[in-house]
Amino acid sequence: MITGTGITKIFKQRGGVLGAREVPALRGVDFAVAKGGAVSFIGESGSGKTTLGRIIAGLETHDAGEIVIDGVPMSSLSHRKRQPYFRRVQLIHQDPYSALNPTRTIHQTLEAPLRLRARQTGRPRSWVDGRAAELLAMVGIDPGYVLPRYPHQLSGGMRQRVVIARALTMDPEVLVADEAVSMIDVSLRLGILALLKDLRERLGVGVLFITHDIATARYIGDDGELYVLYRGQVVERGATEKIIADPVHPYTQSLLSAIPVLHGLERPGAERVVPREMQREGEPDGGCLFARRCPFSTERCESEMPVLGRDGGTEQEHACFHPRRRSVIPVGVGE
Amino acid sequence: MTSHTTAPGVRIRDLTVVYKTPAGELPAVRGVDLTLAPGTITGVVGESGSGKSTLAFSLLNAVQPPGRIAAGSVEIDGLGDVLTLRGEDLRRTRGRQVGYVFQAAQNSLNPLKTIGKQLLDLGRSHDVEDLRGLVRDAKDLLARMGMDGARVLDSYQHELSGGMRQRVGIMLALVLNAKVVVLDEPTTALDMITQATILRIIREVHEERALTTLVITHDVGAVAEVADSLAVMYGGRVVEHGPVAEVLGDARHPYTQGLIRAIPRLSGDLSLARALPGRPPTLGTLPKQGCVFRERCERRMEVCETDEPMSVNRDGRTVACHATDRHLTLVKRKEFV
Repeated sequence: MITGTGITKIFKQRGGVLGAREVPALRGVDFAVAKGGAVSFIGESGSGKTTLGRIIAGLETHDAGEIVIDGVPMSSLSHRKRQPYFRRVQLIHQDPYSALNPTRTIHQTLEAPLRLRARQTGRPRSWVDGRAAELLAMVGIDPGYVLPRYPHQLSGGMRQRVVIARALTMDPEVLVADEAVSMIDVSLRLGILALLKDLRERLGVGVLFITHDIATARYIGDDGELYVLYRGQVVERGATEKIIADPVHPYTQSLLSAIPVLHGLERPGAERVVPREMQREGEPDGGCLFARRCPFSTERCESEMPVLGRDGGTEQEHACFHPRRRSVIPVGVGE
Repeated sequence: MTSHTTAPGVRIRDLTVVYKTPAGELPAVRGVDLTLAPGTITGVVGESGSGKSTLAFSLLNAVQPPGRIAAGSVEIDGLGDVLTLRGEDLRRTRGRQVGYVFQAAQNSLNPLKTIGKQLLDLGRSHDVEDLRGLVRDAKDLLARMGMDGARVLDSYQHELSGGMRQRVGIMLALVLNAKVVVLDEPTTALDMITQATILRIIREVHEERALTTLVITHDVGAVAEVADSLAVMYGGRVVEHGPVAEVLGDARHPYTQGLIRAIPRLSGDLSLARALPGRPPTLGTLPKQGCVFRERCERRMEVCETDEPMSVNRDGRTVACHATDRHLTLVKRKEFV
């Protein structure tokens, strides 16, 4: 179990005509990833979703808040003592082309972390090769074919599976998958998503799934939880299926409305929401962060910042003064 | 030229483009026939290695070595066969008659010059006499796309966001009044809301200016939203082509069917969705004979191993598949019984 409370990150930009500027990337985010659970973070660029993934994986520091891994608050440990904990969180990133060392065979790539793992767990050296083959089989590729090869000899889909196998060498509790399918060919994406779902079920590994494509979040498990991030704030949170079917925050509704409609198979939702403006950099805070772009904002939204809650008796949590269900997602032609 | 002139039609016939490799010359595009009806948006969808970008370059006769256009023609109304154009004629055609927005257009701007300077360079290289008029047109187009034209022209590319750079790319492709526009992956790497905005802009500008537009993408959704007709490429062939709603609603080629089943969607039964088995072919793994898709096909027959399926045109839709062909023929016969 990994939990975070009040995770806050401020980036300080230097220089420029305005001098130093502070940009909040995360504004007090709370989350929890249970054993075998699936938690998805959805947002556009600048939402803070990648920063959050890096903080959870121990690759980035945060300015306030606490990460707790297996009941141990990370702030209570020295940098060194934290490392074994953060090793239980493995990051899979977007680009399977740059994630693997091009001068090493897949066998070499898996061997190094497995040797470390063997030492840590008191297993003999002979365990390493068998485990490498086992992990590759687990991610759905033929070890005999892949082990002697170099990354450039493999397709993008296969490479991403190798990256996942390498992450599994550390017996992680949580996999952080940051846009893990966005560079994979469309016909193969569901295969990677199904693999993540399968690993949850078979190994009890939790998946923290970070994406801008909200539709992909459905495919890592229908029991998943969804967090919608906007400019570092969680604006809607609840069961993935619930939020996709019945979003109440206008930002979530805008994201869902932006997903292309497969004409011929689907009809557009009746109440698609289009933001009034595009996102701008360096927008001032004060009031609801989405107010300026929101088609439904009122005076109150301009001056007061809404906090996450269930105002209006909604099933999911949201940060909006005027939550309202709108049918924004496409409907199947036959339905 | 005013924006009221009729849009030109484009006819690609029997186009074959080969790449020189250590294993000899291999076809990235083979025997492609594709007609872009005047005033329509045609979407070309394909995965990596499908030949879709090579096809786009052919429209400008801009295939670079080690690639070579080995056969075929690309007829554009009012221009003739662009594959026969050479030197200065070809250079003038690009930009003037055929506008092009490159893949990752947001990264293809010159970082050392303001957008305005690059616009003037473009105008001079095409002997535009009225440069003030050109700047005015550029500002209008940018305003049309929701941007402050004067500010954008004074900016360097790093001062603009990804979505803004993409719109600048579209402006540069249109400002010389090209009537045929090729957009290669116009929304890749953009956020969802920005993508939706760009697609809407493409559609609106296309209609206002009476263009003939080709959109190349790996993203079926993007095409579904913007195109009139959809061509599906696989292994260098167009395997299916037809009106977009018909192709998506009633796909006939097994690859198209599999691809649609594999798209993550917001609604619909999760248990019906699945990835296509196998993986897309590369130049080196393309089969020498027979159907290029047979390795991954659930309806493969004996004939697929040996004979390449011909494109068959029926009711305004084209499909190249032995299994589909037989199935449709059977259905037709039943109707006559």
